[in-house]
Amino acid sequence: MSLDSDGNAVSRRKALKVAVAALCSEVGFGMAEDAVLETLTEALGSYIVEIGRSTRGITELACRTDSMVSDVVLGLVEMGLDIRGIPTHARRANKTVFIPPATSSQTQH
Amino acid sequence: VTQQLQDKSAGVPLSDFVLQLEDYAPTIPDSVTAYYLNRAGFETSDPRIIRLISLAAQKFVSDIANDALQHCKMKASAGQSSKKQGKDKKFTLTMEDLTPAMAEYGINVKKPCYFI
Repeated sequence: MSLDSDGNAVSRRKALKVAVAALCSEVGFGMAEDAVLETLTEALGSYIVEIGRSTRGITELACRTDSMVSDVVLGLVEMGLDIRGIPTHARRANKTVFIPPATSSQTQH
Repeated sequence: VTQQLQDKSAGVPLSDFVLQLEDYAPTIPDSVTAYYLNRAGFETSDPRIIRLISLAAQKFVSDIANDALQHCKMKASAGQSSKKQGKDKKFTLTMEDLTPAMAEYGINVKKPCYFI
């Protein structure tokens, strides 16, 4: 999961950590331990991978290749997330957005 | 009308909400979420699905952080008198608050007491 040999993986993981810090700040924390941020980053990355895996499985079970919203919803419900809270969470007042990492262009040697 | 829409969206899971995600930018960037989804073998050309997954994952972390904040506030109110308000403005998220919050979600965090 945490293969840090790939430069892309490192930058994505850092972006995820910044997002986790932004979410903790929105909730009301002024500071956080680094171990806490690392734990939440790892949990968040694993969560996204698990959503993708279960959604893909549900899509292919229905003999489709293109995933639909219903596949994602079924995957989320199976993981125990309350989907009614998602629109509420989206409309929160203090949401923060930051610029994503630019994909590094491979230089020709 | 809004109340009817709310009731409708509770029954029709999120399909109306996803239509509004065209212009929405979640805290987790689309490229980061797409990268992690690709590692699971998930590929989609519809950015709204990626944003829906970003929001679901954000909500997951936000819920854990909220629970940890409740733990932190309970400890602060139990330990200190109600007069001292200045110090309690800035809460620090520590592993002691995070561990019980995550345990409620089935994630058991155990820090090793030693480091090799």
